[in-house]
Amino acid sequence: MPDHGTSATGPKDTAPAAGSAAALPQLRKAVVVGGNRIPFARTGGAYTKSSNQDMLTAALDGLIARFGLQDERIGEVAAGAVLKHSRDFNLTREAVLGSALAAETPAYDLQQACATGLETVLGLANKIKLGQIDSAIAGGVDSASDAPIAVSEGLREVLLDLNRAKTLPQRLQVLSRLRPKDLAPDAPNTGEPRTGLSMGEHQALTTAQWKITREAQDELAFKSHHNLAAAYDAGFFDDLLTPYRGLTRDSNLRAETSLEKLATLKPVFGKSLGTAATMTAGNSTPLTDGASTVLLASEEWADSHDLPKLATVVDGEAAAVDFVHGKDGLLMAPAFAVPRLLARNGLSLEDIDFFEIHEAFAGTVLSTLAAWEDDEFGRTRLGLDGAFGSIDKSKLNVNGSSLAAGHPFAATGGRIVASLAKMLHAKGQVDGRPARGLISICAAGGQGVVAILEAL
Amino acid sequence: MSPSQPLVLAEMPSLSKLYVNAAATAARRRVLGTHAGTTLPAGSHEVRGVKAGVGNLTAYQHLVGETASDVLPAGFVHALAFPLAMSVMNRDDFPLPLLGMIHLQNHVVQSAPIRFTEALDIRAWAENLRGHRAGTQLDLVAEARGAGEATVRWRGVSSYLAKGVFLPGIDKTTAAPPPDFLAPDPTAIWQLGVDSGRAYAAVSGDFNPIHLSVLSAKALGMRRSIAHGMYLASRALADVGAAKGEAFSWDVAFDAPVFLPARVSLDISTVQDPHGSWQCSDYVAWNPRSGRKHFSGSVAAL
Repeated sequence: MPDHGTSATGPKDTAPAAGSAAALPQLRKAVVVGGNRIPFARTGGAYTKSSNQDMLTAALDGLIARFGLQDERIGEVAAGAVLKHSRDFNLTREAVLGSALAAETPAYDLQQACATGLETVLGLANKIKLGQIDSAIAGGVDSASDAPIAVSEGLREVLLDLNRAKTLPQRLQVLSRLRPKDLAPDAPNTGEPRTGLSMGEHQALTTAQWKITREAQDELAFKSHHNLAAAYDAGFFDDLLTPYRGLTRDSNLRAETSLEKLATLKPVFGKSLGTAATMTAGNSTPLTDGASTVLLASEEWADSHDLPKLATVVDGEAAAVDFVHGKDGLLMAPAFAVPRLLARNGLSLEDIDFFEIHEAFAGTVLSTLAAWEDDEFGRTRLGLDGAFGSIDKSKLNVNGSSLAAGHPFAATGGRIVASLAKMLHAKGQVDGRPARGLISICAAGGQGVVAILEAL
Repeated sequence: MSPSQPLVLAEMPSLSKLYVNAAATAARRRVLGTHAGTTLPAGSHEVRGVKAGVGNLTAYQHLVGETASDVLPAGFVHALAFPLAMSVMNRDDFPLPLLGMIHLQNHVVQSAPIRFTEALDIRAWAENLRGHRAGTQLDLVAEARGAGEATVRWRGVSSYLAKGVFLPGIDKTTAAPPPDFLAPDPTAIWQLGVDSGRAYAAVSGDFNPIHLSVLSAKALGMRRSIAHGMYLASRALADVGAAKGEAFSWDVAFDAPVFLPARVSLDISTVQDPHGSWQCSDYVAWNPRSGRKHFSGSVAAL
């Protein structure tokens, strides 16, 4: 057994070799036509009483109105939610039935923690590339306010046994097992099932491991708010967003925040670690409610419907890390996915014009960048000759990201894809080639999904 | 046609006060034997700048099966305007007793969507006092405009019957009773709990005792509590779905009341034009056991 800590490849590597994408038969393009989301709201705010289905339908109906899709039979709709009621087993189909789309539009739910939204885009784009469908809507929604609450394991077992009991004595016997503690409900939390640590505590370990300073995290948070506010002021979101429940902007956005103000916040994660705690409510993403959608199509479909073509979905890659016993940080999977994705497409970090790295925590983004700049990590973990590389930070999250907008888990992918596609289309060509953007989203369970988009 | 000079109220009247006042008026008329005349009040009532509460709107939408969008469901506007319509029927010069009136029909024209963030001017008046084979009926008309605007965006006409009340000078009609109803195959079955009346009262503000509990319904001569007609019609409207678009007409005629709890069978059939565009959805609901028709109506493109 090789020592994983020093092995270049770790587990047996079955990933396609570099440049193998070129060997695939010529596929048609999957293009991003546009997107629509509702403003994101801090939990307990404007969307407190709105269900996942309400919000997804609101985002969907805005998309339908923007692109004239009333009564249109779309090839397929895929969306999902991370915090999901069991009654919402057909969440996306129900949202479609409640929308102005043709009732003959099929839909399915997908769930891959915070990568849900991006994975719906990649899966549907692949179907378009293969010619299975001509149009698709990808999306995601989450409500931390209207979260499902389960009954305790004790009560659940009693209720199920009670249903199976046939006689009164049997029923009484089952009921006698009930204890007061069984009546306490079981609320969802962000803890990892295998470690018991919350996502924030996990990230605190990673943040400390990569020696990310409080100042660097606060600066990233400050830029996120500043960039998002500037994007709103410039009208960037005018054709990406429909108001909902009185909100016209993300309610977490603090346009007036300053580095001084962020520096006053007390740490909330990593307080029991040996090093000084650096993660605050300011440089961590709050729980948020919201929904997003993205319209994807073949070029022919977009042309025949007289709709814009903003960008193509070039390629995507998923990765996972062995975080359970601390080999890697919980949210570090994208640090592995991006080098693999770029290698497969014959690209390096210098070939990217926009980096959209989801800000679960400022520390997540900075730890990922630090790992890529680390010589040792590049050699021993990525199997490279040295460090993977560094990025030009002026290309990072230029219109703000999750620290400012908030992060309704499954809705973040759609937010980023729609915004990036618009940015790429506006940028057009760079050095005689289409502008290129990279999306990186980390997810619970030690997973990550990343993707490349190119301007049209 | 709206009479010229509306009586502008400072705020939406309180329904509970109206019901109490209506009970007092009924008692006074019974004791003193006074009559309010045989004509409807000429004036209209108006409240300006009415806004929907978003919490109430969401609860209403979830209860009747609408998605919680920002557009007010047509039935919600009815509930919003209802206290004002009641205030017209609660006037001293209103010739019929408010309590015990039966909602026969409702006709709504939603010409343009209304968002919950918009303030509304709402006006209501009574018209068309006429005979019915079982008493006297009239129409209560309500109109909603965007605040300060001239165009009506929502117009509702509710026909009520004062059963057993025959006013001098108004002829009893001798219309034949409706033909026997033959139930079609259902497209849906509703399970209405005994608390359906209270649940709709909570979101609509209509705490008429006949809907609230067996006891309060019995006090008014009902054998059990009955579902609000507009709750049933609003569920049918929600069931029609997004096909109706943002401008449509919506009719309902009520037959046998739905005693709670209840199972209600429903059939919705859609009519499309030759190009496949939605034209209307006709609905009918009945008691699956007795086969008695509860209500029927239509949602149609304008």
